[in-house]
Amino acid sequence: MLKQLFPVKHVVGYVASLVLTLIALVVLMDLPAAVEIGILAVTAILQASLQLVMFMHIGESSEKKSLYINIAFAIFMALVTIFGTLFIFVWGWYA
Amino acid sequence: MKIDATQPLEYGTEENRNKIFGFWLFMGAEIALFATLFTVYFVLVDRFASGPSGADLFVIGPVLAETFILLTSSFTIGLAVHSMRLGLKKQMMIFMVITLVLGAAFLGIEIYEFFHYVHEGAAITTSAFTSSLLTLLGTHGAHVTFGLLWGTAILLQVRKYGLDHKTANKSFIFSLYWHFLDVVWIFIFSFVYLKGLM
Repeated sequence: MLKQLFPVKHVVGYVASLVLTLIALVVLMDLPAAVEIGILAVTAILQASLQLVMFMHIGESSEKKSLYINIAFAIFMALVTIFGTLFIFVWGWYA
Repeated sequence: MKIDATQPLEYGTEENRNKIFGFWLFMGAEIALFATLFTVYFVLVDRFASGPSGADLFVIGPVLAETFILLTSSFTIGLAVHSMRLGLKKQMMIFMVITLVLGAAFLGIEIYEFFHYVHEGAAITTSAFTSSLLTLLGTHGAHVTFGLLWGTAILLQVRKYGLDHKTANKSFIFSLYWHFLDVVWIFIFSFVYLKGLM
C-alpha cells in the first residue's frame, strides 16, 4: 500500500528538490559573486524543470507539442523582459 | 459527452482536455506577470533610500521553513493526483488536506514575516526596494491564498460528488496551479532571499 501511494518517481523528485535547496544554500558562504549567481541559476532552473516534468507531467498530454511551445514562448518573454530591462536600466547601456 | 476510457479521468472528455490545455496557456500568462514583477524588483533592489536593505531585512530561518513547507506541499499534491488516478478517493482527499494545511502554514509564516518587515521599518511605502519586494511577495502570497480557497472548494466537491470527470479535472488543474506557485517561490527563494543575503 505504501509503495502504491508513494511512487518512486515522486519520492525521488521530492528528495531531489530538497537536495537542490540545500545546495543553493552554499551561496551564503563567501564565494565570488559570479560563481554564486551561477549556482543559484543552475539550482533554480533544475528545480523548475523538476516540477514541470516530474510533478506537472507536461509531457503526458496529447497536445504536448503546443504546451512546450507555449511554455518556451512564455519563458522567452520572461527572459527578454528581465534581461532587456537590466541591460538598459542597470548595466548602463543607456547611461 | 464522449468519454475516452484509455485516458485518466481528468483527460477523459474533449472538454476536460481543453480545460487542461487552457490552464497551461493561463500559466504562460502568469509567467509573464511574475517576470515583470521580478524585473521591477531587480531594477530597484539597491534603491532602499533611508530604509533597510535586503541584507538588513532578510532572515534565512523562516524563509527556509517556507521553502521546505512549499516543496513538501508540492510533493503531497502530486501524490493526491497519483492516488486520484488509482481511484483512491479517501487517500486523495487526505493528501489534499495535507497540501492545504501546509499551504496555510506557509501563509502564516509569510504573514509573520510581513509584520516583521514593517516592524523593522520596511513598509510598502518606505522605499522603491520595499515597494517592489512586497509587491512581488504579496502577489505570490495572494496566489497562495486564492489557492487555499480554491483547493478547499474542490475538496468539498470531491467529498460530495466523488471522483468523476468533473471533479478529477478540477483537482488536476488545481495541482498544476499549486506546482506553479512552488516554481515561482523557488525563484523568489533563490533570487530575492539568497541573492539578498549573499
